[in-house]
Amino acid sequence: MLLSIEPDGPVPIYQQIRDRIVEAIADGRQPVGSALPSTRQLAVDLGVNFHTVNKAYDLLRQEGLLRLGRGSGAVVRRDASSGPADPAWTQDWAARLRTLLAEAAAHGLPATDIELKCQAATADFDFPAAATQAGNGRESPP
Amino acid sequence: MSSGSLGVAFAVPVLGTLVCLAPAATRPTVQFGVRVPPERVGAPVVRQERRAYYWRTAAVAGCATAAAVTLAVAVPGHGSRWLVTIVLLLELTADHRCFWLAHRKIAAVKEADGWFAGLKQTVATDTSWRTDPPKFPVRWLIPALAVIAATAATGALRYPGLPAHIASGFGGRAGQTPKSFVSVFLVVAAQLYITALWTGFMLIVYRSRPDIESADPRASTLRYRRFLAALTRALLTLIALVDVSLLLVALRNWQVYQLSGARQVLPLLPFAAGLLLLVAVGLRTGQGGSRLNGNVHSLARAGGTDRDDDRFWKAGLLYVNRDDPAIVVSARFGAGWTLNVGNRAAWLIIAGIIAPPAGLIVIAAVAGNLT
Repeated sequence: MLLSIEPDGPVPIYQQIRDRIVEAIADGRQPVGSALPSTRQLAVDLGVNFHTVNKAYDLLRQEGLLRLGRGSGAVVRRDASSGPADPAWTQDWAARLRTLLAEAAAHGLPATDIELKCQAATADFDFPAAATQAGNGRESPP
Repeated sequence: MSSGSLGVAFAVPVLGTLVCLAPAATRPTVQFGVRVPPERVGAPVVRQERRAYYWRTAAVAGCATAAAVTLAVAVPGHGSRWLVTIVLLLELTADHRCFWLAHRKIAAVKEADGWFAGLKQTVATDTSWRTDPPKFPVRWLIPALAVIAATAATGALRYPGLPAHIASGFGGRAGQTPKSFVSVFLVVAAQLYITALWTGFMLIVYRSRPDIESADPRASTLRYRRFLAALTRALLTLIALVDVSLLLVALRNWQVYQLSGARQVLPLLPFAAGLLLLVAVGLRTGQGGSRLNGNVHSLARAGGTDRDDDRFWKAGLLYVNRDDPAIVVSARFGAGWTLNVGNRAAWLIIAGIIAPPAGLIVIAAVAGNLT
């Protein structure tokens, strides 16, 4: 997996690392069970503080996407093929999406533009056939 | 003329040539220690300073070599060695001045024209470097270990028959040292030290950050893998040949054969051949494999620009970054690696490099006093 960050950019580095890993899981570059470098190795490779990578990995662990072990390092815990999303997570995601759409509306982006951009982004990732419904608030067991 | 002064005189053109050729092996996006965006690599100031550097360093190498050879031949006895050493230091100072002139001019134009303004500066990595790491070529250590074993065995066989005083070191001067376990087997310790030092350093390099270009991370990672494999093999060959040179010096000191006059530099030839090989490989691959193309040329480009990191490079050559956990990083000038002296672990490595020879000198001095 290629991982690229902007150290001097406006987004915090840990957030950039977290976002890039989520994207890699979503587009199939990091499938479930695949390994990621240890926090120390990734910190060396990106030239950032060890705690920065630790924070990103911990965030991904809390979100249920990574499993962190002492011996095995970091391993991807779930991806599109791992079954439907947790309802609690889906609700939280819908709230964040609402805020994101509110930002677009406040900045005067037409709904058709938003739909086109969503379609373009959707094409980049691997969605399971039923998962499109999960995003619409389908209640399913975790 | 002594073989010692000839040895130093030999180092003068070698150093001059290496320094003169260094920009050819350096990554094009780093010019004389200044980070340059890919679209500015061919800027007039860069081309002009590169040309000026080649002429200046070639002139320095030519003058220094002429002075060193003249002094080595003309000045009798031990004094010539010191005079030639002074020439070598003057050459090094002049070469650094040439580097600094080019560095300052390019940095000034870069600053004035805002070369990095508006560019998306990124740091990229390929996680496959860690999940599928390159393997250290352990087998390439066998020749060096075989030479060390042969040296130790020959020393053990020759030891009983050696006189009470034996020739010491590389120098052809009349210096004799009392025969002792330390004085006879010092050469084996030197071989072990050189072999262990460079092997240990390369093992750290294998675990260190690869030199990846943000504009082309996938292809540059593949190129770095080929660069590391080629340079490590060339370096391990050089180590084996240095060990051969030390064995040849030891055989002469142990009176297996004799050399006189200019022929005393003959044991240096294996070392010179190894150095030539390493330089050839470094020039062919370029820093981090930047001169390699082949099967990795057609891969898609990512589109970022390497981060402008000049502020972490003191005098354009010394990497000092306390926030970077890396101990070893790719060198800024020429092909190879350097230490991040802002990291405390780097100072442990420096202490580890200095401690063995310092300890050996102390042991040799004590052993010399006891006998």
